[in-house]
Amino acid sequence: MAGTALVLEGLTKRYGTLAPAVDALSLTVQPGEFIGLLGPSGCGKTTTLRMIGGLIEASGGRVLVDGRDVTALPPHRRDMGIVFQNYALFPHMDVAGNVAFGLEMRGMKRGEIAAKVEAALDLVRLGHLAKRRPKELSGGQQQRVALARALVIEPSVLLLDEPLSNLDAKLREEMRAEIQDIQRRLGITTIFVTHDQAEALAMCDRIAVMAQGRIAQLGTPHDIYEHPASEFVADFVGRSNRIAGHAADGRLNIGDLTIDAPAPVAPGPVTVMIRPHRIAFTAGGAGWNEVRGSVRRVTYVGDVLACEVTAGGAVFLVEQPTQPGVPPPEAGAEVCIAWRVADTLVFPRETA
Amino acid sequence: MIGRAAHRALIAALFLFLLAPVVLVIPMSFSADAFLVWPPSGFSLRWYTAMWRETKLMEAARNSILLACLVCAATLVLAMPAALVLARGRFRGREALVALLTAPLLLPTIVLALALLILFVGYGLIGSWPGLLLAHLLVALPYGIRVLMTAVSTLPPAVEEAASSLGAAPWRVFRRITLPLMLPGVAATAAIVFLVSFDEVVISLFVVGPELTTLPVAMFRYVESRTDPLVAAVSALLVLLTLSIVIVLERAVGLGRALGK
Repeated sequence: MAGTALVLEGLTKRYGTLAPAVDALSLTVQPGEFIGLLGPSGCGKTTTLRMIGGLIEASGGRVLVDGRDVTALPPHRRDMGIVFQNYALFPHMDVAGNVAFGLEMRGMKRGEIAAKVEAALDLVRLGHLAKRRPKELSGGQQQRVALARALVIEPSVLLLDEPLSNLDAKLREEMRAEIQDIQRRLGITTIFVTHDQAEALAMCDRIAVMAQGRIAQLGTPHDIYEHPASEFVADFVGRSNRIAGHAADGRLNIGDLTIDAPAPVAPGPVTVMIRPHRIAFTAGGAGWNEVRGSVRRVTYVGDVLACEVTAGGAVFLVEQPTQPGVPPPEAGAEVCIAWRVADTLVFPRETA
Repeated sequence: MIGRAAHRALIAALFLFLLAPVVLVIPMSFSADAFLVWPPSGFSLRWYTAMWRETKLMEAARNSILLACLVCAATLVLAMPAALVLARGRFRGREALVALLTAPLLLPTIVLALALLILFVGYGLIGSWPGLLLAHLLVALPYGIRVLMTAVSTLPPAVEEAASSLGAAPWRVFRRITLPLMLPGVAATAAIVFLVSFDEVVISLFVVGPELTTLPVAMFRYVESRTDPLVAAVSALLVLLTLSIVIVLERAVGLGRALGK
């Protein structure tokens, strides 16, 4: 199956006179690509997904599937498979009936339906439960039925609305891998809505981080994590030390410390962000920022050592894997910490 | 402990108060006397056999059953789309419309009955099937809409969205998903509306005619002129009918669930 290209052009959703829930959002999804819409609740990611699927009407903009404008089409003519957060299985039909439904709606012959349903259930490893009712299944099984039901119609686009958020942690990891495998195998263009940054990083080819109805940044998981475009993205994706500083003469001042910025910065107040696990207890060198400070608190959890180090009036959280034979530093100890200049993220401070 | 015992006693007293008249009818119906007297001097089945020969009552009973079925069918056909729109729709004046459609529940029935009498006389609807049907629909529809609205509001909307994303046009979503999921509510509506119509007496009194009457009206007329326990036998059968409808509903779908509680 060759994937389908999906293009969103200035997609907008307004409710009354409120600020738009989705604000002129444009996005080009390559055939077969797995795109994540990632953001906090209320950022417009689910609204965007629902507009793509035709479940809510767009106030403006267009949705193009392989160049064809589907914006005005009702959901039953869009040919998109949707997996809902609460699965939305048909409670009065058994598993096979649920999966067969979309094929029946397409007027397919009985024998053909049975074969396809069987194949789809095998794909999600549920062939043995075909005669069960949804309420007799566990959450993970229901989720797989929902996935099979959406995939069996061979939709042009697969829309996943927080499909993993109702599962427990272990199951979530399993389903994560499973969805990813199936998506790769079928090469189906997929939009995946989630508020969980780890999920998005692990599964998606590209991620659109959303805030206030707009895309704050679009990029590969690596781009988003290593080169966040804004303080919001850096904060939302992964964890960061967030330290107030001031840029002057191309360098950064934090209290009485002075460190290097990875790129020229305009003078003025800035927020400096550093990932805790990129800071090490070493002396730096060329291309490194090095700071001396004192250990304020040590948290030792076996595999990871977390230390809060105060320096220049700021607190740096340092996280390192524990090393064999190296005892953790004591609270109050004077230490030297360092990180690569390239790992120093600098954003002009948003003045309120 | 005393509080709990008092509580139980209170509940028992309330049940007794509510059910005593109904329970009283049953021994009464087996009376061997020619008059309604308590306690009966002896017991027999004579009134159960006598009632079948009372052609006026029997014809009225057939009318009532047919009427209740018609009202039931018409209410479902009319109330279903109304309930879907009222429970789902977000439009201006929705609340007002719900209030308006359920207003007949709050109006004094006698006022409705008088209004219908005045209206129906002009159109020659008194004592006619269309007249009775219209009059009963007026009282049945508010119940139908209420109960069906509750049934609609308990449906998860995502299930219908899923069906439509799988290629089902709106009508097929309704037939394959919405309607089957609403069946308990539909059954409850049917039962309630049937009983409302079957039991309706005030409005019927005004709109029935010499050729066409309903069972409650016929019973009312009967006790105006006769004082034998025959009506007690009819009443006992009505209690049985009502009870069996409620029990069947309870067994089939669970009354609580049917009413959306």
